[in-house]
Amino acid sequence: MSEFLVGYLSNQSNHEDPPRECDVLIIGGGLLGTSLAYYLAKEGTDVTLIEREEINREASGTNAGSFHFQIALHQLTPNMTNSEKERLASEVRLQVDAAKLWDNLEQELDADLGVHFDGGIMVAETEEEMGVLRDKDEIEKSAGLESHILTGDEMRAFAPYLAPDLAGISFCPREGHANPLLVGPTYAYRAAERGVRFRTDCGAESIEVLTGEKHRFKVTTNKGVIKANRVVNAAGAWTGELAAQLGLKLPMGLSGLHVNVTEPREYFLKSMVQHIGRRLTLKQTHNNTFIIGGGWPSRPEPYPKRYSNIWNSTSGNLAVALRVLPMLKDVKLIRTWSGVWAYTLDFKPILGESERIPGYHVAMVPTGFTLGPMVAQMLSEYMTAPKGSVKLPEEFRVDREVA
Amino acid sequence: MKSVTGNDLVVIGGGPAGIAAAATASSLGLRVALIDERVTLGGQIFKRVGPGFDLRERKSLGKDYARGSDLIDEIDRPNVTVLTSTTVLTIEDGKVITSHAEEGIRALDYRFLIIAPGAYDRPVAFPGWTLPGVMTAGAVQTMVKTQRISPGKKIFFAGSGPLALAFSAQLIGLGAPVFRVIESAPFPSPVNALRLLSRIGGNLDLIRDAAKYRSVLLKARVPFKYGRIIVKAEGEGRLEYVTHAKADREWNPIPGTEVREACDALCVGYGFFPSHELFRLVDCAFEYDENRGGFSVIKDEWGATSVDSVFAVGDGTGVTGSYSAVAQGRLAGLQIASRLKKITEEERDSTAKPYARELRARNRFQSALNKMFDVGAGIYRLADSKTVICRCESVTRGAIDPIIDSTDDVSVVKGISRAGMGLCQGRNCQRHIAAMIADRHQKPISSVSFQTPRFPVKPVEIGAIADDSVREEKYFIT
Ligand SMILES: Cc1cc2nc3c(=O)[nH]c(=O)nc-3n(C[C@H](O)[C@H](O)[C@H](O)COP(=O)(O)OP(=O)(O)OC[C@H]3O[C@@H](n4cnc5c(N)ncnc54)[C@H](O)[C@@H]3O)c2cc1C
Ligand SMILES: Cc1cc2nc3c(=O)[nH]c(=O)nc-3n(C[C@H](O)[C@H](O)[C@H](O)COP(=O)(O)OP(=O)(O)OC[C@H]3O[C@@H](n4cnc5c(N)ncnc54)[C@H](O)[C@@H]3O)c2cc1C
Repeated sequence: MSEFLVGYLSNQSNHEDPPRECDVLIIGGGLLGTSLAYYLAKEGTDVTLIEREEINREASGTNAGSFHFQIALHQLTPNMTNSEKERLASEVRLQVDAAKLWDNLEQELDADLGVHFDGGIMVAETEEEMGVLRDKDEIEKSAGLESHILTGDEMRAFAPYLAPDLAGISFCPREGHANPLLVGPTYAYRAAERGVRFRTDCGAESIEVLTGEKHRFKVTTNKGVIKANRVVNAAGAWTGELAAQLGLKLPMGLSGLHVNVTEPREYFLKSMVQHIGRRLTLKQTHNNTFIIGGGWPSRPEPYPKRYSNIWNSTSGNLAVALRVLPMLKDVKLIRTWSGVWAYTLDFKPILGESERIPGYHVAMVPTGFTLGPMVAQMLSEYMTAPKGSVKLPEEFRVDREVA
Repeated sequence: MKSVTGNDLVVIGGGPAGIAAAATASSLGLRVALIDERVTLGGQIFKRVGPGFDLRERKSLGKDYARGSDLIDEIDRPNVTVLTSTTVLTIEDGKVITSHAEEGIRALDYRFLIIAPGAYDRPVAFPGWTLPGVMTAGAVQTMVKTQRISPGKKIFFAGSGPLALAFSAQLIGLGAPVFRVIESAPFPSPVNALRLLSRIGGNLDLIRDAAKYRSVLLKARVPFKYGRIIVKAEGEGRLEYVTHAKADREWNPIPGTEVREACDALCVGYGFFPSHELFRLVDCAFEYDENRGGFSVIKDEWGATSVDSVFAVGDGTGVTGSYSAVAQGRLAGLQIASRLKKITEEERDSTAKPYARELRARNRFQSALNKMFDVGAGIYRLADSKTVICRCESVTRGAIDPIIDSTDDVSVVKGISRAGMGLCQGRNCQRHIAAMIADRHQKPISSVSFQTPRFPVKPVEIGAIADDSVREEKYFIT
């Protein structure tokens, strides 16, 4: 698996000083930044990407690697109105498009990325949760995402490893996962092949807008100044902080998320398991370990220290896991970790060029592993097409205000 | 999760350092909880004979055993709670979180915390090191000491440092058939020998011990050779041959000097790594010292670390032996008692004097010894491309080398190769990978940092941790 990535980037050239000028400067080497670099370079754009640490070391390399094609559970509530349902359906349609990109991505990048479409199970414990599950099933079907509801003996026959007294489950055959440790670096590798200059240990410290000069932006890094025609802020959790330097107030927030990983056990759990009413995502990886998460918090720490884990997140998260899969009782937890997750207040991506600061672009999306490559491709199309010929969705606008 | 409250002092680690700390602190009136994951107290050196063994004659187990028993008797006090078979998983918000098979998860609060987790054998990756029959010195010692089993009929001992000599002599003393001992360091130079001699004060016992060990080897006609290092182990399914060679000053094998010999057990003892996980979890400051086992926690003369109310004593801060460990434990106990106003600073200082003196003498001697047995960088270069570096995930040097061309970050190597992701969480391979990175990128190994510390410090069953009373509602972020 790792063979492909051998020598994926040259440590030496990564550590050289950045070029003095470039057309597009991408700030941030997570999945958004690296995939955007790849798509832009494919169209022949001159791109430099700067990353203050190493490629793929923040959210893109610490996430759980799950595709969230189904509706995210935090968006669902009992008794939704029709307009709420329609809004969710539009999101599912976006997710279905992302699924298509993932279908072809290993071929596109000519690499094993650990992409598997093994389906996803969403469990409901109570009758009230069952009602929400049925609504979700209905919305997803209307948006073209296959989904099935199973209860009672049918459920027990389909997923004998689940607690037999659950109220029911939905099954989405399209759901899947990929290896987050490989996707970003592979994009970087393919982008570097197409001429993108990567500079690591190189952080943007300040950005100025220039007037009356050849370039529009002057970015000061710890390794010197870079002048660029266009800038893309793909700084993940730090996107808002960076944008604030130019007076942009992005509608986003941050949260530390907790993840658990266990020792390996004989492979039996093909599909990812989630809970409709509680925080749980659980899957068995192809290394036979179980990765268990689902949105339990970790503790913020001042940068560059990594967010630390909270004991109660482990004990609470694992209790939900055992409620759903009691047979994991004697499996050993070997490590926890955490990453910083950036979300938007309206759950829509922030994607495109600022109207207030032409040339300044933002690429940020909450379920960034699932949707990152697709939104990066959309932004690349926008940036490489003649001005005005490609429009990005209105609701993704960089300058929008969210209550 | 149960709470154990009202502790003035929690001591993690029931080896000589931890027991001595608990003994001193409790004798001055502190409420102490002493935790160890093993079934019995005693740590590495005072290792107790396992349950089920008849202990009619304490003496047969040597003076260390008696010394250990005396120390353990000292903590037989109502204000000491001993929690054995109890593993510390993490330390969070001023609580030590532990797991026990029957008691489940318990959280102990504390006003002061002493971390005394000891050390473990330095793993050395050379071709064939994962063959059955190849064992670390510590594992062999435990086997022989607590179970009275010899690991083989013909034992080859390869290692370095005073403990290598002690180990092999002990094994021979217990009747284990050791047939050759090699030491990687060169024969002591006059300068080194003189330095050692000049620091002999307060260490005569150790010199006497060493002389005794040497004579055990001589009497048993077991050859002991300086300046040779293990090169490879071979065999069909288990160890059959070892190859060793002359080593240069940096411990690189000198081509053409190899000797291959048949044997059925290889005992490897090239020093120790301190268990640093808990220190890293509470964010203690570290410094680098290869002879203390790499990154070592920074502490003052009382054992206080850079983190308020957290003390570090014993081998977990760099291996200096059990006498030093006991002295460190006593000093930490005194300092904490004085901080809690159980004794005045004058009382502290006068009681501390003999321990401080002993510690100074031991440390001076130890640093002279360290110079003599300076660990050479060659120890990290023995592996060939097929040698497994990460045992848990079976990752070879050949799989890691090319990734190191792309990065100088241990965590990136881990992410792409899976080295360090298994059960031991990199305890055994991280230092080796750091050394490979240092070699490849021509930088000091001290500049290659560890992976981020995370709990649990030891693997633990999900069923033991899961707690249904913790609800996520109050955590909802969106
Ligand atoms: C624990 C966890 C689990 C998750 N699980 C999932 C999941 O299962 N499915 C899913 O779809 N999504 C998941 N997510 C969300 C997903 O990981 C992120 O949305 C996505 O990775 C964001 O990618 P990014 O490139 O925007 O950010 P990042 O990967 O964080 O990259 C941003 C980069 O910018 C760099 N940077 C910041 N400031 C500067 C600067 N000033 N100069 C230079 N560089 C800078 C950072 O060092 C970083 O490398 C999870 C997130 C977390 C934290
Ligand atoms: C393998 C080995 C063999 C040795 N043999 C000799 C010898 O023959 N002669 C000699 O003079 N010296 C020997 N030494 C050195 C001597 O034993 C030490 O100097 C002395 O034991 C150090 O005492 P300590 O209290 O610091 O650590 P230790 O004696 O190692 O005690 C540490 C204790 O902490 C416990 N612990 C660690 N982590 C946790 C956790 N997370 N939760 C709960 N408990 C935990 C361990 O179970 C252990 O009992 C040896 C050292 C080692 C490592």
